[in-house]
Amino acid sequence: MDLNFTPDELAFRAEIRAWVAENLPKDISRKVHNALRLTKDDLQTWARILGKKGWHGFAWPKHFGGPGWNSTQRHLFEEECALAGAPRIVPFGPVMVAPVIMAFGSPEQQQRFLPGIRSGEVWWSQGYSEPGSGSDLASLKTRAVREGNKYIVNGQKAWTTLGQHGDWIFCLVRTSTEGKPQTGISFLLIDMKSPGVTVRPVRLLDGEPEVNEVFFDDVAVPAENLVGEENKGWTYAKYLLAHERTGIADVNRSKRELERLKRIAKAEGVYEDPRFRDEIARLEVDVVALEMMVLRVISAEKSGKQPLDIAGLLKIRGSEIQQRYSELMMLAAGPYSVPFIYEAMEAGWQGDYVGAAHCAPLAANYFNARKTTIYGGSNEVQRGIIAQSLLGV
Amino acid sequence: MDFDFTEDQQSLRDAVRRWVDKGYGFERRRGIVNSGGFSADAWRELGELGLLGLALPEANGGMGFGAVEAMVVMEELGRGIVLEPFAAVALVTAPILVASRAPSAALRLQGVADGSSLIVLAHQERKARYRLSHVETVASRDSSGNWLISGAKSIVPAGEHAGAYIVPARVSGAVDDPAGIALFLVSRANGVQTRAYPTQDGACAAEVTFDRATGIELLPAGEAFAALEAAIDRGIAAVAAEAVGVMDKLVDLTLDYMNTRKQFGVAIGTFQALRHRVADVKMQLELARSMSYFASLKLGEAPARRRRSLSQAKVQLGQAMRFVGQQCIQMHGGIGVTDEYIGSHYFKRLTVIELTFGDTMHHLGEVSAAMQDTAGVFV
Repeated sequence: MDLNFTPDELAFRAEIRAWVAENLPKDISRKVHNALRLTKDDLQTWARILGKKGWHGFAWPKHFGGPGWNSTQRHLFEEECALAGAPRIVPFGPVMVAPVIMAFGSPEQQQRFLPGIRSGEVWWSQGYSEPGSGSDLASLKTRAVREGNKYIVNGQKAWTTLGQHGDWIFCLVRTSTEGKPQTGISFLLIDMKSPGVTVRPVRLLDGEPEVNEVFFDDVAVPAENLVGEENKGWTYAKYLLAHERTGIADVNRSKRELERLKRIAKAEGVYEDPRFRDEIARLEVDVVALEMMVLRVISAEKSGKQPLDIAGLLKIRGSEIQQRYSELMMLAAGPYSVPFIYEAMEAGWQGDYVGAAHCAPLAANYFNARKTTIYGGSNEVQRGIIAQSLLGV
Repeated sequence: MDFDFTEDQQSLRDAVRRWVDKGYGFERRRGIVNSGGFSADAWRELGELGLLGLALPEANGGMGFGAVEAMVVMEELGRGIVLEPFAAVALVTAPILVASRAPSAALRLQGVADGSSLIVLAHQERKARYRLSHVETVASRDSSGNWLISGAKSIVPAGEHAGAYIVPARVSGAVDDPAGIALFLVSRANGVQTRAYPTQDGACAAEVTFDRATGIELLPAGEAFAALEAAIDRGIAAVAAEAVGVMDKLVDLTLDYMNTRKQFGVAIGTFQALRHRVADVKMQLELARSMSYFASLKLGEAPARRRRSLSQAKVQLGQAMRFVGQQCIQMHGGIGVTDEYIGSHYFKRLTVIELTFGDTMHHLGEVSAAMQDTAGVFV
């Protein structure tokens, strides 16, 4: 048992740090450090920079063109990116659909889809949830009916994050109504430019068009875009969920945001207020404890011993912490969190801020963070899963 | 960076667990509680297992083990809510003797290792709460240059069974001046009086008063306070690990109960209100385990970082112990609040641990005061 990184790991970290410092555009990191609005162009610029270096698929094995890093190296990479103020890698392509294509896709699918994800050129979206299928995802109704060498897809997906930018969407679709709901689901890759696909952005409570409804109206999808076998999609989806282990805790971002919270608290004069300061101290302990838990999972992955049964806890704790720091930032600015000037979250806005520039995004950040305990399997669903593994029933 | 245990550490864990399971069952423990909260036989058995010399150098009859081995042992002793003051003697106090240059300190180590000599730190004073620098007990030299100690120390673990005490006493300075504190070894002899009593967790402690009692200076003023802080930090790491063992066992008991107890015709473990609660309990347990590792692995850091880390750990442990303890009792229903049921004894031990070496509020204050611009495991 050793908390220290090895000299090799430290050298690796230094290499990443230097590269990020050199290659992360300053205008982008400035937006991230100040929680200003990121454009599609910002996100894709960073994705392409990473892609050129071969790090957009940073968790990929070598034979698919990834760097072949172990779990510690992946963590260090994510940490350096987060602390430097890099945008989160939009996960749908490199983190979510790519591992499924690698594990279950055909060689043709791998050759066709992976390079565009690796380079950061092709934007992927996720088509899982539906208006009537949230936590009960297996009840999904979007139909795909086989007609010759294609599927005809009809239905509606919901909560498709950043789907307005999407080139492709990976969907869970119903190909059978026989048996249990889980056994009639297939995993289909759909070109979002296909006729019959309509994307309607939905504004969230912070005013941002972050999610979308995606409608499928007799959309013809070539049968070659089915991943794996028909009616096995649920298995692949579960594989995908299991694949996303420590990333969802996003502890590195929380460390960065804790620094921002302290800056804001100082600027707003509450850092020396013992009642406020103790709340920050409590959050700091929470962040350290989460980081230790993440490191335990990474260590267990690396040594290949019995995987820890605590990965499910990471999502719950990580999301609670994200909500807490955004809440404390808003409280730090107090009344100066109240004004809602939409343009003030734009980098380089020349208008008059009310209070200070750092106050402008705080309430919006707080509102937006409510999603974190809902998405990716609500925290209540996660608790149910944890209880099941503890109680065995 | 890895959190795997070595085979030797695993063997150590197995050995302690065997002793706890076979040699320290609930009935024996109850007998010890009823006869005063300390068993000389059990203490001898801990000595025979080699555990009392765990942290001592091999040259002094010890095992020369480090913080991770201490953590492993504490987790297992916690699973059995062992009453004897293992951590107080072997982990908190013994290293002070090792650090001392006084010839008589080294002579005591063999006895500590084999269990024949029980020496504990007697540092608590009535007005100090958790401030280590608050020391009213005084040390002064007599005409022939011997140190004489006078003052009162409180809640000294197994104070009635100790043969000697390590006593922080003031040689100079104001009542809260850390620079004027030295550490003395005081044998239980003329001028030492004890008043023993049971503690809430079934163990025992004593009020110990010193009236011109002869002391041997272990560490002089200027060095002693840092050693005292380090000793308390070792104590925090030890009780953190113990608490993880206590909670592990209490959660296991609770899960068993949820699967067997039936109401409304079904196991109570089927009720969602309780299922979500038990997930929250598991969360707190694993956060606590993570911070117990953190505590033990940070013991070797430079003092300022070490102290901040240990305070962070104690905050997390304090929150976890209270939540896990309270909720596990709640999920048991009526049986949980009886003395007859084993679970209530685990809850009481968790409660006492929170009040030992600084409670959650105290350590939150320490974390708050020591906060830096950045935070994290490696800061």
